Amino acid sequence: MTAASDTAPAPRLVLTPYLFLLPAMLVTLAVVLWPVAETVWMSLHNFILFKPRNVPFIGLGNFWRLLHDEVFWLSLGHSLVWISLVVGLQFLLGLVTALLLNQTFWWRSLARSLVIIPWALPSVIIGLTWTWMYDFNVGVLNDVLIRFGLIDKPVAWLAQPDSAFFSIVVALIWQGFPFFAVTILAGLQTISAELYEAADMDGATRFQRLRFITLPAIADVIATALLLRTIWVANSLDVILVMTGGGPGYSTYTLPLYAFLKAYSGMEFGYGSALAIMLTLLLLLVVFIYVRRAARELDQ
Amino acid sequence: MKRRHFIQTAGAAALGAPLISAPMIRSASAQTATVRWWYHFDNPQNTPNELIAQFEKDNPGIKIQAESIPWGGGGDYYTRLFAAIVAKNAPDCAMVKLSSQAQLLEMDALEPLDGHIQNWAGKADISYNIWNVNKAQNGKQYYLPLQYVVLYLYYRADWLQAAGLQPPKTYEEFLAAAKAMTKGDVSGFGMRGGGGGHDNWAPFVVGNGATFAKGGMVSEQALAGNRFYVSLARDHKVTPASAASDGFRQIVDGFKAERTGMIIHHIGSANELVTALGDKVSAVPVPRPANGKGWTMFGDESNALLSGSKNKDAAFKWISFLSSGANNVAFNKLTGQLPVTTSGATSWTLHPKRFVDASAASLPLAGVLPDSPKTADFARTVWPTSMQRALLGQIAPDEMMKTIEAHYNG
Repeated sequence: MTAASDTAPAPRLVLTPYLFLLPAMLVTLAVVLWPVAETVWMSLHNFILFKPRNVPFIGLGNFWRLLHDEVFWLSLGHSLVWISLVVGLQFLLGLVTALLLNQTFWWRSLARSLVIIPWALPSVIIGLTWTWMYDFNVGVLNDVLIRFGLIDKPVAWLAQPDSAFFSIVVALIWQGFPFFAVTILAGLQTISAELYEAADMDGATRFQRLRFITLPAIADVIATALLLRTIWVANSLDVILVMTGGGPGYSTYTLPLYAFLKAYSGMEFGYGSALAIMLTLLLLLVVFIYVRRAARELDQ
Repeated sequence: MKRRHFIQTAGAAALGAPLISAPMIRSASAQTATVRWWYHFDNPQNTPNELIAQFEKDNPGIKIQAESIPWGGGGDYYTRLFAAIVAKNAPDCAMVKLSSQAQLLEMDALEPLDGHIQNWAGKADISYNIWNVNKAQNGKQYYLPLQYVVLYLYYRADWLQAAGLQPPKTYEEFLAAAKAMTKGDVSGFGMRGGGGGHDNWAPFVVGNGATFAKGGMVSEQALAGNRFYVSLARDHKVTPASAASDGFRQIVDGFKAERTGMIIHHIGSANELVTALGDKVSAVPVPRPANGKGWTMFGDESNALLSGSKNKDAAFKWISFLSSGANNVAFNKLTGQLPVTTSGATSWTLHPKRFVDASAASLPLAGVLPDSPKTADFARTVWPTSMQRALLGQIAPDEMMKTIEAHYNG
């Protein structure tokens, strides 16, 4: 037996990693790539669900229509404000919560458990709960505000364009801030206590400790959490659908909701698919940044 | 046994099991026809299990696989039904409404029932009017009537009496009554501007002469009717501030909480309202224009046989069982609506008589939305969006009517 034959890898071993990956790739092909291909196919056709015998190919017709659709641009604008407000405020609240939960107090374990509850609840339950809290006639919010003398008559929170949009934003902030809190808390616990001791010895203030030790140490965690949450919030429509269905008028329409309503209410699967693809293209930029970050972390 | 051999043996057994068991399953299913039936109840705690048990006892060769499908204002139910039809996995029969008949026909999804109905003993127990309203435009019968409701006006009898007013018959009397009951945080009319509210709007617009034919939504009568309806909220302020987003649950709860004096709904809410308000609540047909014609929504529900079914005879036996005499009464006790059988109507005791009377008195006004593939989207999206925009002042009432005209006839 030669030295070369001892060291050459057997063909079986070369195939092994691919065989291990095969099940995951097949599942991804079936539940991700195939539906994406179907969506692209539908977006190029005038596919109306109740007209399955008449599905003409219209090329980029749906995309051309979309560019001239006032509701598309309105929904896109709402989506941008929606993502900025929801993700930004969830992050700020989550950061404050994480800093508090990183302190030592006797019921810290209980507090850490309680804070996760909104994140653990199904979106539909959250939508219904907040809808009834905001209710004009029997909602607890109006009742409390009137009792404290902050308003003199009930407010129709979900029936006015501005208040409806921001009422849903508040519900979404409540739902999503635990994700930031828990993620950032995990990051905070990796910071060495010696850094804070050294800062204390140097006479650093609380703000300086936060600015020069805490935030730089958890910057990677924050960036990853922000990217992930941006993708999730941009795609989410369940809470809006339950709370207002996009109304009143178009005031709470976002891009994924518009795509959903076109497909599942109007039965226009072709146009709905074109809207979904447009949303995907816009999100690909964020996904690209996230994947690059994830790949860089894996390489480290 | 080595681990590799064990895995190979287990894998072979797993792959082989369906091959071995398939003939056994086929042999068993040859003796029993399984009928898949889709249904939806407003109260999901109610189940048709007793009716199914009775049917299976009477028909030993047929098994009913009842699948409760979320209604979701109609959108969820029909999206699932259409998707199942396209995917060739539709049930054998399903509960359906007239507003979706045209779409289902467009899909070739419905089986004509005329032949079955001719030979069905229960045919004569359903009135001609109900058969007629359920007929398709091509004259064929695809729907087997199951239950119905008619939209009418619930009102606070005690408040009207205190104001010295009679229950409103005309639009003018309705406005006067709404104004009289609007005090403090109480609104005279619980307007439904959210999903499903088109059936509250139609008595004032279709009732005033609007039609769904070309030009019918922009005629002078149609525009006047819509201006009047929008003015209830915007000018006369006799509706709650939340009207633009209120759906079924909100208007019923507002009425129960004594925050509104009148709402438009059907007999399905009667018992819930009586439980909360007792004799203070009563009902009359919806208001009409001065010429007395008027219009209100006939809320239908039927069973249809899907054309892809391989058990059509068994499926018809099941749906005809549900539309027969005592079974139809038992079924409607589960849904809270009214039986379609003449025999069932005479023995009906589920609701207080005044609401059954209001339903009967509303029948001469009752009609359905057009049998068009565009009706479903009108009800789910076009109407609520444009109505809400009109109520918020984002568009003029006439602009709203142009949108509806364009949807149907553009």
